Amino acid sequence: MTQTIIWTIAILTVLGTVLAVILYFVAEKFKVEEDPRIDEVEKVLPGANCGGCGQAGCRAFAQHCVESSPNLDSCFCPVGGNEGMQKVAAVLGVEVAAKEPQVAVVRCNGTCENRPRVNEYGGYQSCRVKAALYSGDTGCSFGCLGCGDCVAACQFGAISMDPATGLPVVDEEKCTACGACVKACPKAIIELRNKGRRNMRVFVSCVNKDKGGVARKACKAACIGCGKCAKVCPFDAITVENNLAYIDFTKCKLCKKCVAECPTGAIHAVNFPVVKPKPEAAAVQSAPASPVEAKASVVISSEVEKSVN
Amino acid sequence: MDKLIVSPSPHLHTKTSTKSLMRDVVIALMPAVIVSVLFYGWSELLVLSTSVASCLLVELFITKFLLKKPCTITDCSALVTGILLALNLPSTTPWWIVFIGSVVAIGVAKMTFGGLGQNIFNPALVGRVFLLISFPAQMTNWTRPEGFVGGNLDAMTGATPLGAVKEHLGTEGASLTGMTEYADMNYFDMLFYNIGGSAGEISALAILLGFAYLLFRGVIKPYITLSIILTVAVFSGIFWIADPSQYTDPLFNLLTGGLLLGAVFMATDYVTSPMSKTGGIIFGVGIGVITMLIRYFGAYPEGVSFAILIMNSVVPLLNKWFHTKKYGRA
Amino acid sequence: MMKTFSIGGIHPNDSKISKDCKIEVLPVPSKVFISVAQHLGAPATPIVKAGDQVKVGQVIAEPAGFISAYVHSSVSGTVKSVGPRKDLAGNNMTHIEIDVEGDEWVEGVDLTDTLVTAIPEDNKAILEKIKLCGVVGLGGATFPAHVKLCPPPGKKADCLILNGAECEPYLTSDYRIMLERSKEIVVGAAIMKQVLGGCPAVIGIEENKPEAIKAMTAAVAELQKSAKGYDGISVMTLKKKYPQGGEKQLIDAVMDRQVKSMGLPIDVGAVVQNVATSLAVYEAVQKNIPLITNVMTITGDCLPMEKQHNYKFRIGMPLSYIAEYAGGIPEAAAKVISGGPMMGKAIANMDATTVKGSSSLLYLTAEQTVRGEESPCIRCGRCAEACPMGLEPFLLQKYARNNMMDELEDNAVQDCIECGCCLYSCPANIPLLDIIRIAKGDVIRIIRTRK
Repeated sequence: MTQTIIWTIAILTVLGTVLAVILYFVAEKFKVEEDPRIDEVEKVLPGANCGGCGQAGCRAFAQHCVESSPNLDSCFCPVGGNEGMQKVAAVLGVEVAAKEPQVAVVRCNGTCENRPRVNEYGGYQSCRVKAALYSGDTGCSFGCLGCGDCVAACQFGAISMDPATGLPVVDEEKCTACGACVKACPKAIIELRNKGRRNMRVFVSCVNKDKGGVARKACKAACIGCGKCAKVCPFDAITVENNLAYIDFTKCKLCKKCVAECPTGAIHAVNFPVVKPKPEAAAVQSAPASPVEAKASVVISSEVEKSVN
Repeated sequence: MDKLIVSPSPHLHTKTSTKSLMRDVVIALMPAVIVSVLFYGWSELLVLSTSVASCLLVELFITKFLLKKPCTITDCSALVTGILLALNLPSTTPWWIVFIGSVVAIGVAKMTFGGLGQNIFNPALVGRVFLLISFPAQMTNWTRPEGFVGGNLDAMTGATPLGAVKEHLGTEGASLTGMTEYADMNYFDMLFYNIGGSAGEISALAILLGFAYLLFRGVIKPYITLSIILTVAVFSGIFWIADPSQYTDPLFNLLTGGLLLGAVFMATDYVTSPMSKTGGIIFGVGIGVITMLIRYFGAYPEGVSFAILIMNSVVPLLNKWFHTKKYGRA
Repeated sequence: MMKTFSIGGIHPNDSKISKDCKIEVLPVPSKVFISVAQHLGAPATPIVKAGDQVKVGQVIAEPAGFISAYVHSSVSGTVKSVGPRKDLAGNNMTHIEIDVEGDEWVEGVDLTDTLVTAIPEDNKAILEKIKLCGVVGLGGATFPAHVKLCPPPGKKADCLILNGAECEPYLTSDYRIMLERSKEIVVGAAIMKQVLGGCPAVIGIEENKPEAIKAMTAAVAELQKSAKGYDGISVMTLKKKYPQGGEKQLIDAVMDRQVKSMGLPIDVGAVVQNVATSLAVYEAVQKNIPLITNVMTITGDCLPMEKQHNYKFRIGMPLSYIAEYAGGIPEAAAKVISGGPMMGKAIANMDATTVKGSSSLLYLTAEQTVRGEESPCIRCGRCAEACPMGLEPFLLQKYARNNMMDELEDNAVQDCIECGCCLYSCPANIPLLDIIRIAKGDVIRIIRTRK
């Protein structure tokens, strides 16, 4: 009995020692030299591994930051935002310039009402599959397909489908502007735009490049490329190309003249304080807004409020 | 039709569905169910109904209240598990043991893995083995209650043929030739209705009938079942020829115990068997060898359940190693 | 022993309801819209503008690259516009709109019925003619025919396979032309065989078309007796199994050879052309008629027998016009398909127009075509058993859903021929092909960029 115990202890001790020695040498031989700062940077990152920075994940981004230090211009973590980048800069002991915060914007207002369905999709519920097959179940071949690839792509739960409209809704509080939804959308409807002063933004909620008549026939809220908005814009922020208007968010000063001018209500102004019809008409100034349009823009702002809440 | 449907090709689909496949399995099980009810009577009917009802209820409960997902009992897979579990128990099993078996089968072996298609082990067998280990006395109580149809079963009320042989050989210096019971055993009876043991094992022919139906309907491919049967025959044949006094003969091994039930209905379970043909054959051979090792050398008289469960655990590996033959990649 | 391909395959009901309907000629509508993308490869460049007068058979668009094809006017009249119009998937594509006036053909076209059996000797001239007449493969892929008929240097054709399998259920257009234009098809085969350097030609027909087999065998025998250059053409009966008409499957069935992954048929010495292509080659080379017509089937279980048709149509005819002419879209139809039910495209826009490769208007009822609800995979292995490429769709879809590109490539997703056998046979209604098709595109793109 005693002998068994002694033998067991002896064998195990010898075995342990031998293996420890082997392990030590192996560890020495295959040691990977790594900048310890990478670990430190990784610690201050959000750890979402979303790829929004353009790197394969948070660790890859940390490595990229360390490598490109002291110039961090090519590094930006959309999830952590400016605050996060300040932390990274502090770890690396360098300065970094603040970037304008952004948010994902869905540029389609083809609700079930605006854009009636003309056929029924019967395949796998995926925008990619649907887009590869055909133009979609509405007359508009550019608009949202409504299968929610963006919702699946979002790691922050910031996008959800509104069952009433069939369109995705972005929760601005949760959106980190990582751009995953932008990549996931096969129709390139979602765009990252600057959050804007007090979150106020003006944008064209349409990507239809068809001629006006065709676009309008498919969707009541389509941009028909009439160019009225571009003419009325005092800041040259609006360009019309391929029958489609686009508002440059770096130039837009949020005057909302274009919103009142748009005949189809394709230009949306969001997060503006809800104003009574009268002062709004005054703000519009030169272009007298028809009651229908005024109503439309009010509806929009209230809608957006709902989504923010 | 006001709106046309648009979807990717193909535009036609087979009529076969998960439900219809499960229904076919249930139909294939019917001969064995009928024979067992006829010969074991009310008590077997009780075991069957308890097992089926509790399997369905457990799945309903889990999907509805724990997972809060759409109910899946309509796919009939729980029904199949329920019937198989009942057929794998002695007809004397008390209802509460059957219920525990169902909870283990559906709750532990199936739903914890994610439900239909995700489980690694055959749910009915996990239930059965759990009961066998937990309640050895009740699970080996082979006394035969009165059935609806009579039968000459006096010789086998005490133990299963496999159990009798094992017990006899356990005594020192024993040999099969000296065992009168073994010599009395009638293969003709075994084939039709006279195998003592779990309810579903009573008639080899009823199971073979189900096998033929499954093959005819294209529900299963024969190679897993055949490789098990062949392996058992060859394996036991070699030992039997080497020493007939210590090892039972191949026919005996094929007809007794749960071998056929296991080979036809349990080993061929889609979810827990390999996808490729090569994998399936290796799987079958493995089951055959392990079964015979347990029967000849193990502590238990019967080993089919254990053999299938052990081989179930190898399936992911077999699926990884053996793939279908691809076009143009010889 | 009848031959067939060795791996996988399924046996859907062949439903050849319209097989006894003779080919009828569709009258020309008052207006046609001719697409510039009627072939695989780059869309052709229009060379006419609004106001131009065109005749039947006049070139209106030129190829825009090596893999591209000429497009001809199918009517005579005035070009009204050249611009975007929605194709059958609802996407914009350049169409040439022509107002029809009369039916005046370009010069040099032989519109008589006389069979021209003497084959021109100059192979170069033949190929040029095939190219100029805009002949493309009419078996589904619409690959420019002349490209396939010029094997790359160093490669030689051992066998020309004429695809008369028509393995898709419902379709009967190939069957009808094999019955009604058998000799022309054989002449076309002889022309292609000569261009390929005199290799043997095999016409593969599935067993469920005994009359076509008889007609083609008789045509071959007669031409072999009466004219020169027809030796080495034979008819082979194939077992009925879908997708026999797939290029790779047909090569396997006829020649017992398998094309390597990402390889071309010519790598194993095979050239496959559809029987309809053969007819188009005949018309181009012997009659100077460009490819502006083809035969399409109007069929479906919900159509009464008298509304089943096989029509000879001209390209550019609106599908709604054809449907109307044939008696309207039946009430019970839930889906209209251009092509066969296994690989055809569901039509989203009935105002789209016919193209060279149009082969049918197939009406399916909701009961036939609506997919059941997706349920979990029970690993029954039916998809793997059905896959004619020996792939494992259940595995591929899992990898694809998790974006595992390396595993997808290792498991040969790029070999998928999109035949639909997996989705057809899945008892759990898992959208296997929908998912795999996208993954295949991604993996092929990755392989190309790596090269």
